[in-house]
Amino acid sequence: MASLDVVHYDSPRMRILRFGAGIFLVLYLLWTLVPFFVMFVSSFKDLLAAFNLPEVGDWSGITLFFDFTPTFKHYVSLFVDNNFSTYIANSLMAAGGSAVISVIFGSLAAYSLSRVEFAGKADLFFWIISTRMAPVVAVMVPLYSIFRALDLVGTLPGLILAYTTFNLPFAIWILKGFFDNVPYAIEEAQMVDGSTRIQAFVSILPLVAPGIGAFVVLCILFAWNDFLFAAIIGSGGAKTLPVATRELVQPQNIQWGAIMAAGVVTTMPMILLGLVIRKYLVTGLTMGAVKE
Amino acid sequence: MASVTFKNVWKYYGKTPAVKDLNIECPDGSFVSILGPSGCGKSSTMRMLAGLEHISAGDILFDGERINDLPPKDRDVAMVFENYALYPHKTVLENIANPLRLRSVDDDMIKARVDAAAKLLEIDHLLDRRPHELSGGQKQRVAIGRAIVREPRLFLFDEPIAHLDAKLRAHMRGEIKHLQRTLGTTMIYVTHDQLEALSMADYIAVMHDGELQQWGTPSEIFNKPVNAWVAGFVGEPAMNFVTCDLVGHNQEVFLRHENFEIPLLPDQVGKLNGAASAGTARMGVRPDALEISLTKPHQPSITGEVFVNELLGGDMLVEVLLDGSRIRVKTVPEFDGQPGDRCHITVNREKWHIFDAMDGHAYF
Ligand SMILES: Nc1ncnc2c1ncn2[C@@H]1O[C@H](COP(=O)(O)OP(=O)(O)OP(=O)(O)O)[C@@H](O)[C@H]1O
Ligand SMILES: [Mg+2]
Repeated sequence: MASLDVVHYDSPRMRILRFGAGIFLVLYLLWTLVPFFVMFVSSFKDLLAAFNLPEVGDWSGITLFFDFTPTFKHYVSLFVDNNFSTYIANSLMAAGGSAVISVIFGSLAAYSLSRVEFAGKADLFFWIISTRMAPVVAVMVPLYSIFRALDLVGTLPGLILAYTTFNLPFAIWILKGFFDNVPYAIEEAQMVDGSTRIQAFVSILPLVAPGIGAFVVLCILFAWNDFLFAAIIGSGGAKTLPVATRELVQPQNIQWGAIMAAGVVTTMPMILLGLVIRKYLVTGLTMGAVKE
Repeated sequence: MASVTFKNVWKYYGKTPAVKDLNIECPDGSFVSILGPSGCGKSSTMRMLAGLEHISAGDILFDGERINDLPPKDRDVAMVFENYALYPHKTVLENIANPLRLRSVDDDMIKARVDAAAKLLEIDHLLDRRPHELSGGQKQRVAIGRAIVREPRLFLFDEPIAHLDAKLRAHMRGEIKHLQRTLGTTMIYVTHDQLEALSMADYIAVMHDGELQQWGTPSEIFNKPVNAWVAGFVGEPAMNFVTCDLVGHNQEVFLRHENFEIPLLPDQVGKLNGAASAGTARMGVRPDALEISLTKPHQPSITGEVFVNELLGGDMLVEVLLDGSRIRVKTVPEFDGQPGDRCHITVNREKWHIFDAMDGHAYF
């Protein structure tokens, strides 16, 4: 088995390239991180302090930006004056619920599609993927009228169902690829060793864990960041964070401080999730199990 | 322990048959080898036994009981897969322990069993590794470990030692045979290596193109092949075949060729049954049933020309050119014929075979 260590060949050209890459990365990091930083800092500023900015080009005035007394009043207003704890709970339930349901049904369906030969399999698989081909807006109106007929508009189960209809095909599609990569011989060995078909299926789940992990993250991200479904299907009873934040923009009064704080509350969990789940996304567990 | 019976078993993949009308009876406790070239249906046969492949037609019986419809876990067989099929996310220890864990054997017992198996297979220093950190031969031994760690009714080994080096292979041949003798468990052992089959098995089933060619003990297979295909497949160096004419003359029957005319032994004439008493046939004889010399002997002999000499350690293999064919003769290393020399070969007629020129079946 070959090792995957990178072999370095040093040459002047390589050194220049590496230097260029370094500069590019620094600029790119500034570009992506500064908005988050501004949002984070501003959420702790009084409204006056937040707009106390130096003139354009006046680099010495940059200290002005850090010259403020931190305040938590925007966070207090989110959770006391507005119902943000409920909205966080709604967001969590909608994202988590649809991720769990999609992963359960998705892995079962993907497993069957990967392991069992049956008539019309290719067509079925294409049909499943094709449900993702239409843009979300195109199906919004019919979906809304169906959901209203079923009394699901404005409820959490309705929102979870809506996300699941979009996440499930995606789950089947991603997970089928992961199951295809697990040699069937491993389950055969399990069954000969004395396990049932279901036990054999469960026994290979650790091998598709990177896939399941990746999918869960993508699925949660989709639901958590979604605005369209939340605004239309969830409106009213199942208000999520993006919709609630949007409502802080009122015609006469844009609550910048609260919006910044809401931004922090919305992004933090996803950043933490990304850090926690990182090691799950490392693939390659199946290497070397079967003679190639 | 179980006896295994195949009754008219067929395996089709789509429309192509991989196993054709197989009938075999493996006695309880025997070591049976399925021998044949690549693609002849050996693995398909194994997989039907293990319950991994649907049996297209016919029945398979364990101890007289039909098992066609039993799922793998209820057949109580242990299998070594051709492609190892180890669990990549488990250590060697857990791989070997897996069948015991599934039967909820207690931990002390598992540890003892796994240690014993690992020691036998010389992989006890690898127990903490994962499969991707092992060489091919080590993986193969882990796969064997997983099979021998419990006591099933039947062992199925699909080319279990094909990837080991020659020395380890010889060692493992002995170990596997010894293990089977000690446990007394019926073993079905697939191989394409005739030496493995001849040296280990109680019975050999020779397969070709999905069809059973011959069933018999190693000595029957080697000494009394039922057709030219089996005769040519088994034995190393391979049997020589020469197409000759059969000529009857005063009660005697001669094998005639441009280079020789040799009479059959009297009892062999009877075995021809008159069927081929006039016409062509294929004579088959192994290189070690021939003797070569540079001087013309008294008895009838084959005259030819030395083509090339190969020294194989303690033996010499001489390839001799006849009209239209070549034959190989095993002799002593001292033989000093040089390429181009005229030479004479005498045949041990007890050990030659006559095959039908058309369908290849053996008259004797
Ligand atoms: N899943 C399959 N689908 C279609 N044909 C198959 C399948 N598996 C095997 N075959 C065919 O069936 C025949 C027998 O295959 P099998 O694997 O039993 O051979 P084998 O004797 O084990 O060969 P080897 O020594 O190379 O392992 C081959 O011609 C092969 O191409
Ligand atoms: Mg095979």
